[in-house]
Amino acid sequence: MTRGFSSLSRWIVFFAVICLLIGFGPGSAPAAEKVIKIGTLFPLTGPVASAGQRCQAAVQTAVEIINNRHPGIKVPLAKQAGIMNGYKIVLVHADSQGKPDVGKAEAERLFNQEGVWAIIGSYNSSVSKPASLVAERMKRIFMCGASSSAALTKRNLNFFFRLAPTDETESIEFVDALQWMNKKKNARIKTIGVIYENTEFGKHAAEEAKKAAAHGGFRVVADVPFSPGATNLNSEVQTLKKSNPDAVFGAVLGADYSLWVRTMKQSNWLPKAALNYCSGYQDPVIMKQLGGDAEYFMGATAYSPQFAGLMPAVAQVEKIFKTKTGGVPFDGDSIQEAVAMLVLAQAIDKAGSLDPDKVAKTLHANTWESPLSLGGKVAFQKGGQNKLAKSILTQIQKNEYKRIYPEKMSDSTIVLPMRPWAKR
Amino acid sequence: METFLQVLIDGMLSGMVYALVAAGLCLIWGVMDVINFAHGEYLMIAMYVSYWLGFLANVDPVVSIVASGAFIFILGALTYKLIIHYTIGKPPLAALLATFGLAMLLKNLCLNRFSPNFLILSDTWLGDKTFQLGNLIFPAPQLAAAILSLVVVGLVYAVISSTRFGWAVQATAMDRDAAELMGINTERVYILIFGIGGACVGIAGGIMPSYLSVHPEVGSLFGLIAFICVAMGGFGSIPGAFLAGILVGVVESVAGFYIAPVFKYIAVFGLYLAVVFLRPKGIFGW
Repeated sequence: MTRGFSSLSRWIVFFAVICLLIGFGPGSAPAAEKVIKIGTLFPLTGPVASAGQRCQAAVQTAVEIINNRHPGIKVPLAKQAGIMNGYKIVLVHADSQGKPDVGKAEAERLFNQEGVWAIIGSYNSSVSKPASLVAERMKRIFMCGASSSAALTKRNLNFFFRLAPTDETESIEFVDALQWMNKKKNARIKTIGVIYENTEFGKHAAEEAKKAAAHGGFRVVADVPFSPGATNLNSEVQTLKKSNPDAVFGAVLGADYSLWVRTMKQSNWLPKAALNYCSGYQDPVIMKQLGGDAEYFMGATAYSPQFAGLMPAVAQVEKIFKTKTGGVPFDGDSIQEAVAMLVLAQAIDKAGSLDPDKVAKTLHANTWESPLSLGGKVAFQKGGQNKLAKSILTQIQKNEYKRIYPEKMSDSTIVLPMRPWAKR
Repeated sequence: METFLQVLIDGMLSGMVYALVAAGLCLIWGVMDVINFAHGEYLMIAMYVSYWLGFLANVDPVVSIVASGAFIFILGALTYKLIIHYTIGKPPLAALLATFGLAMLLKNLCLNRFSPNFLILSDTWLGDKTFQLGNLIFPAPQLAAAILSLVVVGLVYAVISSTRFGWAVQATAMDRDAAELMGINTERVYILIFGIGGACVGIAGGIMPSYLSVHPEVGSLFGLIAFICVAMGGFGSIPGAFLAGILVGVVESVAGFYIAPVFKYIAVFGLYLAVVFLRPKGIFGW
């Protein structure tokens, strides 16, 4: 018996040590009783996991500011501790894996089992779509920071709010920029190719691109969808190369973005201009890893560290964010998730109630101070789109996101056409 | 014509990499009747070995293939000794589920240790280089991987078909009990087969960071395609798996270019279904 007990004890100690080593210890329970549980739903694994993890870190950063006093930070709620006379936000994290079915199931779990009051997520438009329908059915708020599919806010949901500019507004911005390049830079861009992942985000971005291109007088000569996570993008790039469009619009996320860029280099082909939606282009880690190959690509950007002069309040917040990301700064997507959390907290505080209906109406009825947004303010129209969302067209030059369009906000001259691979 | 040749070259180069990944799976399957679901994860770990050697010690993937091959050889042998060994003689589902569990373990271990971030190895010897023949472009990393594939698969085939060890392997595959009665140490054969099967995919994974980013999910699709190559080529047929790999690569490339890029995997899986339907034993199966 003693021997058996001793053996059992050894096993218990062994498993306890293993659990501690791999981090499966018991979670720290919130000490405060007045808590509001908010769920986060991002792709923490899968090909766009690095972006998802930064989005989660951004929400954590916002919660740290909301729950504690930060007199030095110039964003709403920073000067007080908690909201609604002492309520603290507690986050419950979930991993969508970037998959719509998993995201929907996780949204249901967050509401039904974890008892969260609202959800912030989900980066991938394809996940935000079903997950936000779960929230709508339960009459709970779904704050969406970065998903860009315009279709999300055309559903006229009552509890869905999206901060980022849509692929519809970005497509119009891209076409405006091309017209500006033709007029001011004599670019002679007439044809466009579209490469996009075959998902809710990619397909919708491509639709908007084609619509905006037709409206702007450009001809779409290549329409190239691809399966995300492909082993190669050879035929996709060969299709683009054969059509040889003057400009390419890309909706290519994560690891696929670097594969796309590298395959274009191997095929020794580039358009005059490559403009990207919220995608791998905006990921500072990819930019760093691609090195010189990332140069001269362009994209819509809501934030990059080079925007510090335009958004001075970000610097202090970014210091907290960097402690959670190993020094990686905010990007255009992650900062939107921080804004989503901050605006939701402001709305709860202003409504003075945890009735989701009342808070949703408060969100709709007010204009919110948002020093972390390029527009400085946030206001939602019917359907939940932030009508004050803005982005700037940037181009990577010497490993920095340089502002190039609109011209009045630019800090650098556009390099056009993109410098050929052999001359870099 | 030039475009068609380029598409064909791209397809063949991709296909030869699939073939190398499939060769290891085919060997294990052919000799032991075990479907190694962790094969894609072996590839992923080999890519990590190569990446970290490149990142920390500045070793190029061309050299790292030795280390990644050896590492996965040991991992394969350990997989047999610690897991598969205990499923021998049990229902076939036992080994299948065991390797599925191993795949989950390896993937989540890498997620935990290396994070899901994708890692790109810059400034490799081959990464930026291409060879041109007229207007036809041969990307150097894929070309190197294809040559490796040819050499390694050829070597494995030669060893299996014309050495004493190879005959022992064939005998073990045909009838383990009879092989043991002939004095063959079948346990040793199994360990080595799992090791060699792992080494094949380890070598493929070793060269891949020259042109592909590394992340915990990277092996999944390669593992699936390897399975298709083995099933199409004929269970246990190394030349069959090799040719099926090339066929898959070419079909993927041609369908992707001439029908639609999004159609390429539909064409591959459609071809697989057609082959399995018309000839369930595979093209070279017996």
